[in-house]
Amino acid sequence: MSQSTVDKYFWLSFEMIKSNVMTAMEYRTSFLIQVVGMIVNDVGLILIWVIFFQKFPAINGWSFSDSAMLFAITTSSFGILMTLCRGAYSISETITKGGLDYFLALPKNVLWHITVSKSDSSAIGDFFFGLGMFFLTTNPDLQHFFMYIGYTVLASTIMFGFILVTQSLTFWLGNFQEASEQIFHLLVGFTLYPQSVFHGAMKIFMLTLVPGFFVATVPVEIIKNFDPVLFFLMVGYAMGIVTLGISLFHLGLRRYESGNLLGSQI
Amino acid sequence: MNTKSLKLKAQLNIAKYLEVAKISYSNVSTYFSNVFVKSVTVVVRIWIFTQLYSVTYIVSGVSSVGGLTVPMAIWTLTLVQSFQTASRPGVMRVIDEEVKSGNIAYSLGKPYSYILFHYFNHMGKIVPNLFWNLLISGFATLFLVGSVMPKFEGVIFGVILLFFGYTLDFLITFSLGLLAFWVEDTSAFVWLYSKGQMVLGGLVLPIALFPNYLQKIVEFLPFSQFFYSAAQTIVSFDLAKTFFFIEVQLTWIVVFIFITKFLFLKGGKNVSINGG
Repeated sequence: MSQSTVDKYFWLSFEMIKSNVMTAMEYRTSFLIQVVGMIVNDVGLILIWVIFFQKFPAINGWSFSDSAMLFAITTSSFGILMTLCRGAYSISETITKGGLDYFLALPKNVLWHITVSKSDSSAIGDFFFGLGMFFLTTNPDLQHFFMYIGYTVLASTIMFGFILVTQSLTFWLGNFQEASEQIFHLLVGFTLYPQSVFHGAMKIFMLTLVPGFFVATVPVEIIKNFDPVLFFLMVGYAMGIVTLGISLFHLGLRRYESGNLLGSQI
Repeated sequence: MNTKSLKLKAQLNIAKYLEVAKISYSNVSTYFSNVFVKSVTVVVRIWIFTQLYSVTYIVSGVSSVGGLTVPMAIWTLTLVQSFQTASRPGVMRVIDEEVKSGNIAYSLGKPYSYILFHYFNHMGKIVPNLFWNLLISGFATLFLVGSVMPKFEGVIFGVILLFFGYTLDFLITFSLGLLAFWVEDTSAFVWLYSKGQMVLGGLVLPIALFPNYLQKIVEFLPFSQFFYSAAQTIVSFDLAKTFFFIEVQLTWIVVFIFITKFLFLKGGKNVSINGG
Protein backbone atom coordinates (compact mmCIF):
# COMPACT_ATOMS: atom_id res chain seq x y z
CA MET A 1 0.00 0.00 0.00
CA SER A 2 1.51 3.34 -1.03
CA GLN A 3 1.90 6.27 1.33
CA SER A 4 -0.80 8.28 -0.43
CA THR A 5 -3.28 5.38 -0.08
CA VAL A 6 -2.53 5.12 3.65
CA ASP A 7 -3.03 8.89 3.98
CA LYS A 8 -6.27 8.70 2.05
CA TYR A 9 -7.66 5.90 4.25
CA PHE A 10 -6.52 7.67 7.39
CA TRP A 11 -8.35 10.90 6.52
CA LEU A 12 -11.38 9.02 5.23
CA SER A 13 -11.54 7.07 8.51
CA PHE A 14 -11.25 10.33 10.42
CA GLU A 15 -14.11 11.86 8.43
CA MET A 16 -16.33 8.76 8.74
CA ILE A 17 -15.84 8.51 12.51
CA LYS A 18 -16.32 12.25 12.93
CA SER A 19 -19.53 12.04 10.96
CA ASN A 20 -20.75 9.05 13.03
CA VAL A 21 -20.05 10.85 16.32
CA MET A 22 -21.54 14.15 15.09
CA THR A 23 -24.68 12.30 13.98
CA ALA A 24 -25.02 10.78 17.44
CA MET A 25 -24.42 14.18 19.04
CA GLU A 26 -27.23 15.68 17.00
CA TYR A 27 -29.61 14.00 19.46
CA ARG A 28 -28.02 15.77 22.38
CA THR A 29 -30.11 14.37 25.25
CA SER A 30 -29.84 10.81 23.96
CA PHE A 31 -26.08 11.23 23.47
CA LEU A 32 -25.60 12.49 27.02
CA ILE A 33 -27.82 9.75 28.48
CA GLN A 34 -25.68 7.19 26.63
CA VAL A 35 -22.32 8.55 27.71
CA VAL A 36 -23.31 9.18 31.33
CA GLY A 37 -25.29 5.91 31.39
CA MET A 38 -22.16 4.01 30.34
CA ILE A 39 -20.07 5.67 33.04
CA VAL A 40 -22.68 4.69 35.66
CA ASN A 41 -22.72 1.20 34.14
CA ASP A 42 -18.95 0.88 34.60
CA VAL A 43 -19.18 2.19 38.15
CA GLY A 44 -21.67 -0.66 38.73
CA LEU A 45 -19.09 -3.17 37.51
CA ILE A 46 -16.39 -1.96 39.84
CA LEU A 47 -18.88 -2.08 42.73
CA ILE A 48 -18.80 -5.89 42.57
CA TRP A 49 -15.13 -5.77 43.43
CA VAL A 50 -15.61 -3.16 46.14
CA ILE A 51 -17.94 -5.67 47.83
CA PHE A 52 -15.67 -8.63 47.04
CA PHE A 53 -12.48 -7.08 48.41
CA GLN A 54 -14.33 -5.99 51.56
CA LYS A 55 -14.84 -9.68 52.28
CA PHE A 56 -11.49 -10.93 50.91
CA PRO A 57 -8.89 -8.10 51.04
CA ALA A 58 -6.20 -9.72 48.85
CA ILE A 59 -6.05 -12.78 46.58
CA ASN A 60 -2.54 -14.03 45.83
CA GLY A 61 -1.16 -10.48 46.07
CA TRP A 62 -3.98 -9.01 43.96
CA SER A 63 -5.86 -6.22 45.72
CA PHE A 64 -8.56 -3.73 44.81
CA SER A 65 -6.02 -1.26 43.36
CA ASP A 66 -4.97 -3.92 40.81
CA SER A 67 -8.59 -4.48 39.82
CA ALA A 68 -8.99 -0.72 39.47
CA MET A 69 -5.99 -0.56 37.11
CA LEU A 70 -7.37 -3.51 35.17
CA PHE A 71 -10.66 -1.67 34.74
CA ALA A 72 -8.82 1.52 33.74
CA ILE A 73 -7.06 -0.26 30.87
CA THR A 74 -9.85 -2.53 29.67
CA THR A 75 -12.72 -0.03 29.75
CA SER A 76 -10.58 2.53 27.89
CA SER A 77 -9.51 -0.01 25.27
CA PHE A 78 -13.11 -1.14 24.83
CA GLY A 79 -14.08 2.54 24.52
CA ILE A 80 -11.50 3.22 21.81
CA LEU A 81 -12.47 0.08 19.91
CA MET A 82 -16.20 0.71 19.93
CA THR A 83 -15.89 4.41 19.11
CA LEU A 84 -13.60 3.82 16.14
CA CYS A 85 -14.51 0.34 14.89
CA ARG A 86 -18.03 -0.50 16.06
CA GLY A 87 -18.88 -1.71 12.54
CA ALA A 88 -16.55 -4.70 12.92
CA TYR A 89 -18.74 -5.92 15.76
CA SER A 90 -21.69 -5.99 13.32
CA ILE A 91 -20.01 -8.03 10.55
CA SER A 92 -22.00 -11.12 11.45
CA GLU A 93 -25.28 -9.21 11.53
CA THR A 94 -24.40 -7.50 8.23
CA ILE A 95 -23.72 -10.84 6.55
CA THR A 96 -26.79 -12.57 8.01
CA LYS A 97 -29.17 -9.76 7.06
CA GLY A 98 -27.74 -9.44 3.55
CA GLY A 99 -26.29 -6.00 4.19
CA LEU A 100 -22.85 -6.88 2.85
CA ASP A 101 -23.93 -6.30 -0.76
CA TYR A 102 -24.13 -2.57 -0.08
CA PHE A 103 -20.45 -2.46 0.93
CA LEU A 104 -19.38 -4.68 -1.97
CA ALA A 105 -20.77 -2.18 -4.44
CA LEU A 106 -18.60 0.65 -3.11
CA PRO A 107 -15.07 1.44 -4.36
CA LYS A 108 -13.20 1.29 -1.03
CA ASN A 109 -11.90 -1.74 0.87
CA VAL A 110 -14.90 -3.73 2.15
CA LEU A 111 -13.51 -4.59 5.59
CA TRP A 112 -12.34 -1.03 6.21
CA HIS A 113 -15.72 0.35 5.16
CA ILE A 114 -17.74 -1.98 7.41
CA THR A 115 -15.39 -1.32 10.33
CA VAL A 116 -15.71 2.46 10.32
CA SER A 117 -19.35 2.52 9.21
CA LYS A 118 -20.58 2.67 12.80
CA SER A 119 -19.45 4.28 16.04
CA ASP A 120 -20.87 3.54 19.43
CA SER A 121 -21.20 6.91 21.10
CA SER A 122 -21.73 5.33 24.53
CA ALA A 123 -18.20 3.91 24.29
CA ILE A 124 -16.91 7.44 24.80
CA GLY A 125 -18.25 7.00 28.34
CA ASP A 126 -16.17 3.82 28.70
CA PHE A 127 -13.05 5.65 27.61
CA PHE A 128 -13.57 8.48 30.09
CA PHE A 129 -14.42 6.08 32.88
CA GLY A 130 -11.12 4.24 32.26
CA LEU A 131 -9.20 7.49 32.16
CA GLY A 132 -10.85 8.58 35.42
CA MET A 133 -9.99 5.26 37.07
CA PHE A 134 -6.38 5.64 35.98
CA PHE A 135 -6.03 9.08 37.54
CA LEU A 136 -7.89 8.05 40.68
CA THR A 137 -5.99 4.87 41.39
CA THR A 138 -2.38 5.41 40.31
CA ASN A 139 0.40 7.86 40.57
CA PRO A 140 -0.34 9.70 37.32
CA ASP A 141 3.14 10.78 36.22
CA LEU A 142 3.87 11.32 32.53
CA GLN A 143 5.68 7.98 32.11
CA HIS A 144 2.81 5.95 33.55
CA PHE A 145 0.31 7.95 31.55
CA PHE A 146 2.05 7.15 28.26
CA MET A 147 2.36 3.51 29.28
CA TYR A 148 -1.35 3.43 30.07
CA ILE A 149 -2.26 4.96 26.68
CA GLY A 150 0.10 2.60 24.83
CA TYR A 151 -1.22 -0.58 26.49
CA THR A 152 -4.77 0.61 26.04
CA VAL A 153 -4.24 1.00 22.29
CA LEU A 154 -2.52 -2.40 22.12
CA ALA A 155 -5.34 -4.09 24.05
CA SER A 156 -7.96 -2.54 21.76
CA THR A 157 -5.99 -3.78 18.73
CA ILE A 158 -6.11 -7.32 20.15
CA MET A 159 -9.84 -7.00 20.83
CA PHE A 160 -10.32 -5.78 17.26
CA GLY A 161 -8.44 -8.76 15.83
CA PHE A 162 -10.45 -11.14 18.01
CA ILE A 163 -13.72 -9.57 16.85
CA LEU A 164 -12.66 -9.99 13.21
CA VAL A 165 -11.89 -13.67 13.77
CA THR A 166 -15.16 -14.49 15.57
CA GLN A 167 -17.42 -12.37 13.38
CA SER A 168 -15.88 -13.73 10.16
CA LEU A 169 -16.81 -17.28 11.20
CA THR A 170 -20.35 -16.34 10.06
CA PHE A 171 -19.20 -16.92 6.47
CA TRP A 172 -18.87 -20.61 7.31
CA LEU A 173 -21.36 -21.14 10.13
CA GLY A 174 -24.42 -19.18 8.94
CA ASN A 175 -26.35 -17.31 11.62
CA PHE A 176 -23.57 -16.79 14.17
CA GLN A 177 -24.47 -13.32 15.35
CA GLU A 178 -25.51 -14.04 18.94
CA ALA A 179 -22.75 -16.60 19.36
CA SER A 180 -20.01 -14.24 18.14
CA GLU A 181 -21.29 -11.54 20.51
CA GLN A 182 -21.26 -14.03 23.39
CA ILE A 183 -17.68 -15.07 22.59
CA PHE A 184 -16.57 -11.44 22.60
CA HIS A 185 -18.35 -10.90 25.91
CA LEU A 186 -16.43 -13.89 27.19
CA LEU A 187 -13.18 -12.08 26.41
CA VAL A 188 -14.50 -8.94 28.07
CA GLY A 189 -15.58 -11.14 30.97
CA PHE A 190 -11.97 -12.20 31.60
CA THR A 191 -11.07 -8.59 32.18
CA LEU A 192 -13.39 -8.43 35.18
CA TYR A 193 -11.66 -10.86 37.49
CA PRO A 194 -8.52 -10.74 39.64
CA GLN A 195 -5.96 -12.16 37.23
CA SER A 196 -3.96 -13.84 40.01
CA VAL A 197 -6.57 -16.58 40.44
CA PHE A 198 -6.16 -18.08 36.98
CA HIS A 199 -3.97 -21.16 36.74
CA GLY A 200 -3.49 -24.46 34.91
CA ALA A 201 -5.53 -25.14 31.78
CA MET A 202 -7.36 -21.82 32.17
CA LYS A 203 -4.09 -19.98 31.61
CA ILE A 204 -3.54 -21.93 28.38
CA PHE A 205 -7.13 -21.16 27.34
CA MET A 206 -6.50 -17.43 27.96
CA LEU A 207 -3.30 -17.60 25.94
CA THR A 208 -4.89 -19.26 22.94
CA LEU A 209 -8.62 -19.46 22.26
CA VAL A 210 -9.80 -16.35 24.13
CA PRO A 211 -6.89 -13.92 24.56
CA GLY A 212 -7.80 -12.66 28.03
CA PHE A 213 -4.16 -12.99 29.09
CA PHE A 214 -3.06 -10.39 26.52
CA VAL A 215 -5.82 -7.85 27.10
CA ALA A 216 -6.04 -8.13 30.89
CA THR A 217 -3.15 -9.89 32.65
CA VAL A 218 -0.17 -8.55 30.67
CA PRO A 219 -1.05 -4.82 30.63
CA VAL A 220 -1.52 -4.71 34.42
CA GLU A 221 1.66 -6.73 34.97
CA ILE A 222 3.86 -4.53 32.79
CA ILE A 223 2.42 -1.27 34.04
CA LYS A 224 3.40 -2.44 37.57
CA ASN A 225 6.79 -3.90 36.60
CA PHE A 226 7.94 -3.43 33.04
CA ASP A 227 8.98 -6.70 31.42
CA PRO A 228 10.28 -6.39 27.81
CA VAL A 229 9.49 -10.05 27.04
CA LEU A 230 5.83 -9.64 28.00
CA PHE A 231 5.68 -6.33 26.13
CA PHE A 232 6.97 -7.79 22.87
CA LEU A 233 4.74 -10.82 23.34
CA MET A 234 1.77 -8.48 23.53
CA VAL A 235 2.84 -6.54 20.43
CA GLY A 236 3.47 -9.78 18.51
CA TYR A 237 0.12 -11.22 19.54
CA ALA A 238 -1.69 -8.02 18.49
CA MET A 239 -0.10 -8.14 15.03
CA GLY A 240 -0.78 -11.86 14.69
CA ILE A 241 -4.44 -11.80 15.61
CA VAL A 242 -5.23 -8.77 13.42
CA THR A 243 -3.53 -10.48 10.48
CA LEU A 244 -5.48 -13.67 11.16
CA GLY A 245 -8.75 -11.72 11.41
CA ILE A 246 -8.18 -9.86 8.14
CA SER A 247 -7.19 -13.08 6.35
CA LEU A 248 -10.25 -14.94 7.65
CA PHE A 249 -12.55 -12.13 6.57
CA HIS A 250 -11.16 -12.10 3.03
CA LEU A 251 -11.19 -15.88 2.82
CA GLY A 252 -14.81 -15.86 3.91
CA LEU A 253 -15.70 -13.06 1.54
CA ARG A 254 -14.71 -15.31 -1.36
CA ARG A 255 -17.37 -17.79 -0.27
CA TYR A 256 -20.00 -15.10 0.15
CA GLU A 257 -23.01 -15.14 -2.11
CA SER A 258 -25.37 -12.19 -2.26
CA GLY A 259 -28.06 -11.99 0.39
CA ASN A 260 -30.43 -10.84 -2.39
CA LEU A 261 -31.95 -8.42 0.06
CA LEU A 262 -34.05 -5.69 -1.44
CA GLY A 263 -33.95 -2.45 0.49
CA SER A 264 -32.46 0.97 0.62
CA GLN A 265 -29.37 2.09 2.53
CA ILE A 266 -29.44 5.76 3.36
CA MET B 1 -71.99 -10.26 22.06
CA ASN B 2 -70.57 -6.81 21.38
CA THR B 3 -67.34 -6.09 19.49
CA LYS B 4 -65.38 -5.29 22.63
CA SER B 5 -66.11 -8.61 24.33
CA LEU B 6 -65.41 -10.49 21.09
CA LYS B 7 -62.02 -8.78 20.84
CA LEU B 8 -61.29 -9.61 24.48
CA LYS B 9 -62.27 -13.24 23.92
CA ALA B 10 -59.99 -13.43 20.89
CA GLN B 11 -57.16 -11.89 22.88
CA LEU B 12 -57.50 -14.37 25.72
CA ASN B 13 -57.54 -17.48 23.54
CA ILE B 14 -54.59 -19.28 25.11
CA ALA B 15 -54.12 -21.84 22.30
CA LYS B 16 -52.76 -19.28 19.87
CA TYR B 17 -50.26 -17.98 22.41
CA LEU B 18 -49.02 -21.53 22.93
CA GLU B 19 -48.58 -21.69 19.14
CA VAL B 20 -46.56 -18.45 19.32
CA ALA B 21 -44.33 -20.01 22.00
CA LYS B 22 -43.94 -23.15 19.85
CA ILE B 23 -42.89 -21.18 16.78
CA SER B 24 -40.45 -19.13 18.82
CA TYR B 25 -39.04 -22.39 20.30
CA SER B 26 -38.53 -23.79 16.78
CA ASN B 27 -36.89 -20.57 15.58
CA VAL B 28 -34.27 -20.73 18.32
CA SER B 29 -33.69 -24.48 18.01
CA THR B 30 -33.03 -24.18 14.26
CA TYR B 31 -29.82 -22.24 14.86
CA PHE B 32 -28.19 -24.79 17.12
CA SER B 33 -24.70 -23.25 16.86
CA ASN B 34 -26.05 -20.13 18.55
CA VAL B 35 -27.65 -22.13 21.38
CA PHE B 36 -24.55 -24.29 21.78
CA VAL B 37 -22.05 -21.42 21.92
CA LYS B 38 -24.24 -19.65 24.48
CA SER B 39 -24.04 -22.76 26.68
CA VAL B 40 -20.29 -23.01 26.18
CA THR B 41 -19.82 -19.40 27.31
CA VAL B 42 -21.67 -20.29 30.51
CA VAL B 43 -19.25 -23.20 30.99
CA VAL B 44 -16.24 -20.91 30.63
CA ARG B 45 -17.72 -18.49 33.16
CA ILE B 46 -18.28 -21.37 35.57
CA TRP B 47 -14.70 -22.43 35.06
CA ILE B 48 -13.57 -18.88 35.90
CA PHE B 49 -15.77 -18.86 39.02
CA THR B 50 -14.37 -22.22 40.11
CA GLN B 51 -10.84 -20.86 39.95
CA LEU B 52 -11.82 -17.56 41.56
CA TYR B 53 -13.68 -19.03 44.53
CA SER B 54 -11.40 -22.04 45.07
CA VAL B 55 -8.34 -19.79 45.30
CA THR B 56 -10.20 -17.18 47.36
CA TYR B 57 -11.43 -19.72 49.93
CA ILE B 58 -7.99 -21.33 50.16
CA VAL B 59 -6.01 -18.10 50.64
CA SER B 60 -8.62 -16.85 53.13
CA GLY B 61 -8.33 -20.15 55.04
CA VAL B 62 -12.08 -20.80 55.15
CA SER B 63 -14.19 -23.73 54.00
CA SER B 64 -17.52 -21.97 54.07
CA VAL B 65 -18.59 -18.32 53.77
CA GLY B 66 -22.17 -17.21 54.46
CA GLY B 67 -23.18 -20.88 54.65
CA LEU B 68 -21.77 -21.61 51.17
CA THR B 69 -18.96 -24.04 50.49
CA VAL B 70 -17.08 -23.75 47.18
CA PRO B 71 -19.23 -26.41 45.41
CA MET B 72 -22.42 -24.75 46.71
CA ALA B 73 -21.25 -21.31 45.54
CA ILE B 74 -20.33 -22.68 42.10
CA TRP B 75 -23.60 -24.59 41.67
CA THR B 76 -25.54 -21.46 42.66
CA LEU B 77 -23.62 -19.43 40.08
CA THR B 78 -24.06 -22.15 37.44
CA LEU B 79 -27.82 -22.04 37.88
CA VAL B 80 -28.01 -18.23 37.97
CA GLN B 81 -25.84 -17.94 34.86
CA SER B 82 -27.78 -20.66 33.00
CA PHE B 83 -31.13 -19.09 33.85
CA GLN B 84 -30.00 -15.61 32.92
CA THR B 85 -28.18 -16.47 29.67
CA ALA B 86 -31.20 -18.44 28.45
CA SER B 87 -33.32 -15.30 28.57
CA ARG B 88 -30.90 -13.10 26.64
CA PRO B 89 -31.18 -11.07 24.46
CA GLY B 90 -34.17 -9.75 26.39
CA VAL B 91 -37.43 -8.47 25.05
CA MET B 92 -36.30 -4.87 25.62
CA ARG B 93 -34.46 -4.63 22.30
CA VAL B 94 -37.44 -6.07 20.39
CA ILE B 95 -39.95 -3.63 21.87
CA ASP B 96 -37.58 -0.70 21.46
CA GLU B 97 -37.14 -1.53 17.75
CA GLU B 98 -40.86 -2.05 17.19
CA VAL B 99 -41.67 1.31 18.75
CA LYS B 100 -38.92 3.17 16.92
CA SER B 101 -39.59 1.58 13.53
CA GLY B 102 -43.33 2.13 13.90
CA ASN B 103 -44.10 -1.58 13.41
CA ILE B 104 -45.97 -1.49 16.69
CA ALA B 105 -48.77 0.33 14.87
CA TYR B 106 -49.39 -2.80 12.78
CA SER B 107 -48.91 -5.23 15.67
CA LEU B 108 -51.55 -3.41 17.72
CA GLY B 109 -54.17 -4.02 15.07
CA LYS B 110 -53.70 -7.79 15.14
CA PRO B 111 -56.15 -10.05 16.98
CA TYR B 112 -53.96 -10.73 19.98
CA SER B 113 -52.84 -9.00 23.12
CA TYR B 114 -49.53 -7.30 22.31
CA ILE B 115 -48.14 -7.96 25.78
CA LEU B 116 -49.23 -11.63 25.91
CA PHE B 117 -47.87 -12.23 22.41
CA HIS B 118 -44.42 -11.03 23.45
CA TYR B 119 -44.62 -12.86 26.77
CA PHE B 120 -45.22 -16.24 25.12
CA ASN B 121 -42.77 -15.47 22.34
CA HIS B 122 -40.11 -14.72 24.97
CA MET B 123 -40.91 -17.83 27.03
CA GLY B 124 -40.74 -19.99 23.90
CA LYS B 125 -37.23 -18.71 23.20
CA ILE B 126 -36.07 -19.46 26.72
CA VAL B 127 -36.93 -23.20 26.71
CA PRO B 128 -34.30 -24.59 24.26
CA ASN B 129 -31.60 -22.26 25.57
CA LEU B 130 -32.35 -23.21 29.15
CA PHE B 131 -32.34 -26.94 28.38
CA TRP B 132 -28.91 -26.87 26.71
CA ASN B 133 -27.47 -24.41 29.24
CA LEU B 134 -28.46 -26.61 32.16
CA LEU B 135 -27.34 -29.80 30.49
CA ILE B 136 -23.93 -28.60 29.32
CA SER B 137 -23.06 -26.35 32.26
CA GLY B 138 -24.47 -28.93 34.69
CA PHE B 139 -22.05 -31.57 33.40
CA ALA B 140 -19.19 -29.08 33.47
CA THR B 141 -19.93 -28.09 37.07
CA LEU B 142 -20.21 -31.73 38.07
CA PHE B 143 -16.78 -32.29 36.57
CA LEU B 144 -15.26 -29.15 38.14
CA VAL B 145 -16.57 -29.24 41.72
CA GLY B 146 -18.60 -32.42 42.12
CA SER B 147 -22.21 -32.60 43.15
CA VAL B 148 -24.35 -30.99 45.83
CA MET B 149 -27.47 -32.88 46.76
CA PRO B 150 -30.53 -30.71 46.21
CA LYS B 151 -33.75 -31.55 48.07
CA PHE B 152 -36.77 -32.58 46.02
CA GLU B 153 -38.90 -29.74 47.49
CA GLY B 154 -36.06 -27.33 46.72
CA VAL B 155 -36.16 -28.26 43.03
CA ILE B 156 -39.98 -27.96 42.87
CA PHE B 157 -39.99 -24.55 44.59
CA GLY B 158 -36.96 -23.52 42.54
CA VAL B 159 -38.90 -24.15 39.31
CA ILE B 160 -41.84 -22.08 40.63
CA LEU B 161 -39.50 -19.25 41.64
CA LEU B 162 -37.79 -19.42 38.26
CA PHE B 163 -41.11 -19.14 36.44
CA PHE B 164 -42.03 -16.07 38.49
CA GLY B 165 -38.50 -14.73 38.03
CA TYR B 166 -38.75 -14.95 34.22
CA THR B 167 -42.17 -13.29 34.38
CA LEU B 168 -40.82 -10.45 36.50
CA ASP B 169 -37.79 -10.03 34.24
CA PHE B 170 -40.11 -9.95 31.21
CA LEU B 171 -42.38 -7.30 32.75
CA ILE B 172 -39.48 -5.02 33.66
CA THR B 173 -37.67 -5.37 30.32
CA PHE B 174 -40.96 -4.88 28.47
CA SER B 175 -41.60 -1.65 30.44
CA LEU B 176 -38.07 -0.42 29.73
CA GLY B 177 -38.56 -1.16 26.02
CA LEU B 178 -41.77 0.87 26.07
CA LEU B 179 -39.78 3.90 27.23
CA ALA B 180 -38.80 4.21 23.55
CA PHE B 181 -42.13 6.05 23.19
CA TRP B 182 -40.57 8.94 25.06
CA VAL B 183 -36.77 8.68 24.74
CA GLU B 184 -34.82 8.26 21.50
CA ASP B 185 -32.57 5.46 22.70
CA THR B 186 -33.27 3.05 25.54
CA SER B 187 -29.90 1.30 25.46
CA ALA B 188 -28.65 3.21 28.53
CA PHE B 189 -31.52 1.66 30.51
CA VAL B 190 -30.53 -1.76 29.17
CA TRP B 191 -26.99 -1.41 30.54
CA LEU B 192 -28.11 -0.09 33.88
CA TYR B 193 -30.63 -2.89 34.20
CA SER B 194 -28.09 -5.55 33.24
CA LYS B 195 -25.50 -4.11 35.61
CA GLY B 196 -28.10 -4.05 38.39
CA GLN B 197 -28.63 -7.73 37.69
CA MET B 198 -24.92 -8.43 37.57
CA VAL B 199 -24.08 -6.68 40.85
CA LEU B 200 -27.25 -7.24 42.89
CA GLY B 201 -28.58 -10.34 41.15
CA GLY B 202 -25.81 -12.70 42.24
CA LEU B 203 -24.46 -13.30 38.73
CA VAL B 204 -20.81 -12.97 39.74
CA LEU B 205 -20.82 -12.73 43.51
CA PRO B 206 -23.34 -14.92 45.36
CA ILE B 207 -25.54 -12.73 47.57
CA ALA B 208 -24.73 -15.02 50.52
CA LEU B 209 -21.17 -13.60 50.35
CA PHE B 210 -22.39 -9.98 50.66
CA PRO B 211 -22.01 -8.18 53.99
CA ASN B 212 -25.10 -8.88 56.14
CA TYR B 213 -26.60 -5.39 55.95
CA LEU B 214 -26.37 -5.40 52.14
CA GLN B 215 -27.77 -8.92 51.88
CA LYS B 216 -30.93 -7.86 53.71
CA ILE B 217 -31.49 -4.89 51.40
CA VAL B 218 -30.70 -6.82 48.20
CA GLU B 219 -33.19 -9.60 48.99
CA PHE B 220 -36.03 -7.09 48.83
CA LEU B 221 -34.99 -5.77 45.41
CA PRO B 222 -36.27 -7.31 42.18
CA PHE B 223 -32.73 -8.03 40.87
CA SER B 224 -32.15 -10.88 43.31
CA GLN B 225 -35.60 -12.27 42.55
CA PHE B 226 -35.11 -12.97 38.85
CA PHE B 227 -32.80 -15.96 39.06
CA TYR B 228 -30.83 -15.95 42.31
CA SER B 229 -33.74 -16.83 44.60
CA ALA B 230 -34.53 -19.88 42.42
CA ALA B 231 -30.88 -20.97 42.34
CA GLN B 232 -30.44 -20.57 46.10
CA THR B 233 -33.64 -22.51 46.78
CA ILE B 234 -32.45 -25.41 44.62
CA VAL B 235 -28.95 -25.52 46.11
CA SER B 236 -29.76 -24.87 49.78
CA PHE B 237 -33.48 -25.21 50.43
CA ASP B 238 -35.04 -23.29 53.31
CA LEU B 239 -38.86 -23.27 53.39
CA ALA B 240 -39.25 -19.97 55.30
CA LYS B 241 -36.84 -18.22 52.97
CA THR B 242 -38.60 -19.69 49.92
CA PHE B 243 -41.96 -18.28 51.01
CA PHE B 244 -40.30 -14.94 51.64
CA PHE B 245 -38.88 -15.01 48.07
CA ILE B 246 -42.29 -15.86 46.62
CA GLU B 247 -43.89 -12.98 48.53
CA VAL B 248 -41.27 -10.51 47.29
CA GLN B 249 -41.54 -11.82 43.72
CA LEU B 250 -45.33 -11.64 43.63
CA THR B 251 -45.31 -8.12 45.06
CA TRP B 252 -42.91 -6.95 42.34
CA ILE B 253 -44.89 -8.80 39.66
CA VAL B 254 -48.11 -7.01 40.69
CA VAL B 255 -46.28 -3.65 40.77
CA PHE B 256 -44.80 -4.18 37.31
CA ILE B 257 -48.06 -5.46 35.81
CA PHE B 258 -49.52 -2.06 36.69
CA ILE B 259 -46.48 -0.16 35.43
CA THR B 260 -46.39 -2.13 32.16
CA LYS B 261 -50.09 -1.67 31.56
CA PHE B 262 -49.85 2.04 32.38
CA LEU B 263 -46.88 2.65 30.06
CA PHE B 264 -48.45 0.57 27.32
CA LEU B 265 -51.76 2.47 27.43
CA LYS B 266 -50.06 5.85 27.70
CA GLY B 267 -47.50 5.08 24.97
CA GLY B 268 -50.16 3.48 22.75
CA LYS B 269 -51.92 6.82 22.56
CA ASN B 270 -48.87 8.16 20.69
CA VAL B 271 -49.36 5.58 17.95
CA SER B 272 -51.20 6.72 14.88
CA ILE B 273 -51.57 4.94 11.56
CA ASN B 274 -51.33 7.04 8.47
CA GLY B 275 -52.58 5.55 5.26
CA GLY B 276 -50.46 5.27 2.14
